[in-house]
Amino acid sequence: MLADLTGRPEVAHIGPDTVLFGEGVGLDSLAGTMLLRQIERRYGVDVAAEDLNLDALETLGTLASFITKRV
Amino acid sequence: MIKCVVWDIDNTLLTGVYLESGDQLPEPDPELLAVVRELAGRGILNALASRNPPAAARYVAKVTGADFAAEECGWGSKAEAITRIAAELSLAPDAIAFVDDDMLERAEVAAALPDVLVLTPEDAVEAPGWPAFSPAVITDEARRRGELYARRRQRQAEAAAFGGSRDEFLRHVGTRISIALATEADLPRLHELSVRTHQLNSGGEEVTESELAGYLEAAGVAVYTVRLADNFGDDGLVGTAILTGNEAGGDAVGLVSGAFGVYQVPLVMMSCRALGRGALDALLAWLCRAAAAAGATELQIPCLVTERNVPMRLALAAAGLRAEPGSIGPDGRAIFARSLTGALPRLADWVTVP
Repeated sequence: MLADLTGRPEVAHIGPDTVLFGEGVGLDSLAGTMLLRQIERRYGVDVAAEDLNLDALETLGTLASFITKRV
Repeated sequence: MIKCVVWDIDNTLLTGVYLESGDQLPEPDPELLAVVRELAGRGILNALASRNPPAAARYVAKVTGADFAAEECGWGSKAEAITRIAAELSLAPDAIAFVDDDMLERAEVAAALPDVLVLTPEDAVEAPGWPAFSPAVITDEARRRGELYARRRQRQAEAAAFGGSRDEFLRHVGTRISIALATEADLPRLHELSVRTHQLNSGGEEVTESELAGYLEAAGVAVYTVRLADNFGDDGLVGTAILTGNEAGGDAVGLVSGAFGVYQVPLVMMSCRALGRGALDALLAWLCRAAAAAGATELQIPCLVTERNVPMRLALAAAGLRAEPGSIGPDGRAIFARSLTGALPRLADWVTVP
């Protein structure tokens, strides 16, 4: 999903500790909003409604564990 | 307030049916064409939804000379087309009007999308006289909105074809972001932003021109504007933020003075058209830097927590701001904060600051 949203195929291979915001993946509000929407559609989890600080989006690892706890 | 009118083509904008006209393609309806132009001049977008091949939309654009912010030419239902247009333009259904000569099409849309204003062509001729189509003040940004949306589609097409990161793309298309102190001349546009923006708005309330003028004049309060341009076009003033420090004192325009060393941003607003172009990131980075340069050790940004302004919360999180989950006040706002000691967010080299 991230590789598609950022248009960068190398992102498909990042490790669980890579930071999503900033230099690593460069997620911005536009890509982030689309990511949250796709996550809701695919997994039925509304990250924004449950996570005020969107800490779940810190790294790929935090996001995956947030989703698996709620699926 | 209607922000976009979606027009049917056959027997609505055109005086005939595109595919059935052979060599003699139909002319545009002169009365409706006049409405399209009048609305564009008021900053209301025009879009097309038609069961026709894409060539029909190109023909309409050519023969009317008008800018269409979105074109849905295909064989699905009108309700689906309008839903896609709304998503593409980041508009809620209640900001959209739909014009179609066909009663069954109008009924389909009215049933599927009850918030859309459904009109006959005769209604559309009268519509410019209605309040929903008559903004009180027309800013320069409004007058150019149709043109800016056309440029936006060109930019998006180029972004889709581009093979690098977002920042590399922004550099590639000559992005220029300038942050400056607001002046009186900016007040109408700042007021317009408070009325029009929802997704990238930390406050969620209308702010009148006189309240904004109060901020401009208050001691210890800085009002910043953000202007955005690139090789595709100049979007003008797209965003604003108010920065206040502990020198502001108790009651300057109703702001409460924070603890020593804490600077606050009572309001941040940005046009959602600027999403994805680094403008909000630049503004938030600048606010951190400006506050730090003034000696602040912490920056606080109260932000309304709603479903609609998730993009704003994402930008706050990306800029390193966090809120205590229990900190949502009675006004529905959580205080997002970050320390200003240590590394501050970077400003891209295409950002000009005061």
